[in-house]
Amino acid sequence: MMELLEVKNLSKHYKSFDLRDISFTLPKGYIMGYVGANGSGKTTTLNLITGILKSTEGEVYIDGLSCEKDMRAYKEKIGYVGDESYFPEHLKIKHIRGMLKDFYGTFSVEKFDSYIRNWNLPENKLIKDFSRGMKVMLMFASVLARDTKLLVLDEATNGLDPVMRTEVMKLLQEYVMDGERSVIFSTHILSDLEQIADYIYFIHGGRTVLYDAKDELIENFLLVKGESEKIPPALEKELIGLEKNAYGFEAILPSDKAELLGSAFLFEKPTIDQIVIHYIKNKGEQ
Amino acid sequence: MRAISFMKIDYVLTRKQMYFMPVFFVLAWVVGTGVTEGAMSLLVTCSYMFFVASIFSTAPFGYCVGKNRGFLLLLPATVKERVAGRFLYGLSFVALLGVLCAALWGVYALTGYELPLWTVAIGLCELAAGILLMALEFLFFYLFGEGKENWQYLSNIVRVAPGMAMFFAVNAFVGEIQDMTPAGTSVDLEAFAGKFMQAGVAAVAASLLLTAAAAAVCVKVIEKRDYA
Repeated sequence: MMELLEVKNLSKHYKSFDLRDISFTLPKGYIMGYVGANGSGKTTTLNLITGILKSTEGEVYIDGLSCEKDMRAYKEKIGYVGDESYFPEHLKIKHIRGMLKDFYGTFSVEKFDSYIRNWNLPENKLIKDFSRGMKVMLMFASVLARDTKLLVLDEATNGLDPVMRTEVMKLLQEYVMDGERSVIFSTHILSDLEQIADYIYFIHGGRTVLYDAKDELIENFLLVKGESEKIPPALEKELIGLEKNAYGFEAILPSDKAELLGSAFLFEKPTIDQIVIHYIKNKGEQ
Repeated sequence: MRAISFMKIDYVLTRKQMYFMPVFFVLAWVVGTGVTEGAMSLLVTCSYMFFVASIFSTAPFGYCVGKNRGFLLLLPATVKERVAGRFLYGLSFVALLGVLCAALWGVYALTGYELPLWTVAIGLCELAAGILLMALEFLFFYLFGEGKENWQYLSNIVRVAPGMAMFFAVNAFVGEIQDMTPAGTSVDLEAFAGKFMQAGVAAVAASLLLTAAAAAVCVKVIEKRDYA
């Protein structure tokens, strides 16, 4: 598989937070879900990938090119959609169109205008008067109207209504369809990831927790339920994010420890949501 | 080329303030003619316009704070191009107001006013001071305030105080000249007009060089910062 995005030992040190040793690759034509709790380092990683931030250590390559080698060509390859509109809010669509045309050689005014028309974005309103959904769609129009290789989404679907979220999911799938482009996508809405992600990278406290193909990840864990009193000590040691309540317990268990279960417990394939929540709970307890 | 595109962005960001420039121009002329007349009033008008330039040329810094700055950082360009674009904006803005002043000078000449050469030289010195003030303010904003949201009070002082000082200095200078014996003084100053002109041109050239130096310092500083 040809790698589109390579992240090698990426670190960023702040006074109060450290992102440490993040490494992964994303092949062409695939979508990666980048997940973690608030403050876990998702936005920092994505800002390092887009070249907005400089790393303390480590390297990022997009299609074999680093930001240090050729900042212009590197940034041309990236389309970024954030959780908030990054366009100056007192501008209108016509101003954004003019700026993008000046800076991006591959920017197509026709494509941009067709997105604007299809999504009914108001030409004569200031961006500050757009709804959140409109702002997100304007960001999408601005990146889809040019030839990018990597789409970086930082919680872009948060706060969108279900119809718009479905539209965005469809866009992402269409984006990678030619097998030449990829998407890295951070979100709190893990059901979106179930739907479209091929890879999951899970980060907590600035450190890697899990990184695998989504299907592998689901195969590698079991969601276990049962009566709390019946958990043997050997099993309890292996359970991840053990949550006890009046009706019993729920936890995640690595599949290779399944023999510890015996017949006293129920188990099933977990969702990404469940794996992440139990891991976060587990890390919180540690 | 990208620097010019960044300059265009700054003009788009600050497009609304351009509507007010003709108003300021008329106001500057009224202030000038209110203080004195002829060439001297032009000097006051020009100093007022460069005072206005020193305030409004820094406006893009105010628009590029917080999340609004992200768009500029994402654009495919180097720090050098981004900073050069901002300085080109500042320079072209001051030059634009300079052209307005020159046009007024032309109108006065065509309508028969006597405009001694030394007053033109002083006008060039005012232009040089306007450029220099802009460069120093840009240097200050890049070094201490780029992207900061909560320093409105200090930034307003930095934007207004130097230009205001220049305006009052020119007013004081014009007052001094008027207090002198008109006949004798005028002749004496005209005798040095050639030297004054050389000094005026040199001042403009020096201010441009210093602007380039200030831009280079800003590039070096920003390249060392956390963001690209």
